[in-house]
Amino acid sequence: MLEPTIFTWILIVFGLLTCGPLLYAQLIMVFKPHSEEARKLLIGKGEEWRDKSHFKSAYALAIADWILYLPVFIAGITGVILAQGWGYILFAAAGAIILYINIFLWFFEKEYVYPAVGPWAYYTYFWGNFSYWGFAALFYSILRLNGINF
Amino acid sequence: MNLMTKKFGPYPMGIWIALIALLLAFLGWLMQAYSLLDWEGAVKLGLQNGSFEGDAVERAVANKERGEAIADMLWPLPIAIVALIGLLRNEFIGFVAAMMEFAICIYFPLFYTFQLWNTDIETVIGANVLWAIPSLLGIIGLWANRQYFN
Repeated sequence: MLEPTIFTWILIVFGLLTCGPLLYAQLIMVFKPHSEEARKLLIGKGEEWRDKSHFKSAYALAIADWILYLPVFIAGITGVILAQGWGYILFAAAGAIILYINIFLWFFEKEYVYPAVGPWAYYTYFWGNFSYWGFAALFYSILRLNGINF
Repeated sequence: MNLMTKKFGPYPMGIWIALIALLLAFLGWLMQAYSLLDWEGAVKLGLQNGSFEGDAVERAVANKERGEAIADMLWPLPIAIVALIGLLRNEFIGFVAAMMEFAICIYFPLFYTFQLWNTDIETVIGANVLWAIPSLLGIIGLWANRQYFN
């Protein structure tokens, strides 16, 4: 009943493609927070941290994502592939976390990031894809757990 | 797990713990709601650290905190309402919503911990004691009683 469908696999692949590069960038941030590479990956080429609060927020988000988000995300994907109820619950939790972060980032960062990267980048790989994935993973999981299969 | 499934009145212990953790989450969202209504008053009460009337650093902190407060009103607060009603009514959607709420309530204290541990240890301890630890216990309590939900 909870077996992955083609739609499940699309969500999993989309999630990995969306979150994989971010988690890589955050790994650099965790281990080399003051490096140029971390700055380049997280804010863009040639850009500097706006202030200490911006740097510390990015650093804390990177660690929190590696300690909590990544395990929940990977365990969720594993559970979903194994057709387990707990997998869908973790998948939904991963979606809820990423939606939370991106609602926060919308209010905290959009005024700086959006003008710098433009609408296409912002509404896709900079911010949008994370929100679309979170929303889709969350509601898909709830529907599957309620017996709606697609 | 036996203690978690032992019934005390209408609910097993694990569900009581989850309900208490949810009420603590509501306390947090109430603080955030008050902050949005009267930011400088909330700063005076110690609910927020950054003032919009302070220097550039304080304003940057206030900007970040306001982003968190708005995000809290838009996402974890509605989930908490669904979770509370669902748990009280013994509905499976309450179980899933509470799991998502607790994931967020562990995530943001982790974020605070790595952002503020060397500048504001009181906030770090407060966030972990009030939200992260109860939420973790809430997850354990709910999982022990997962058969309890419709």
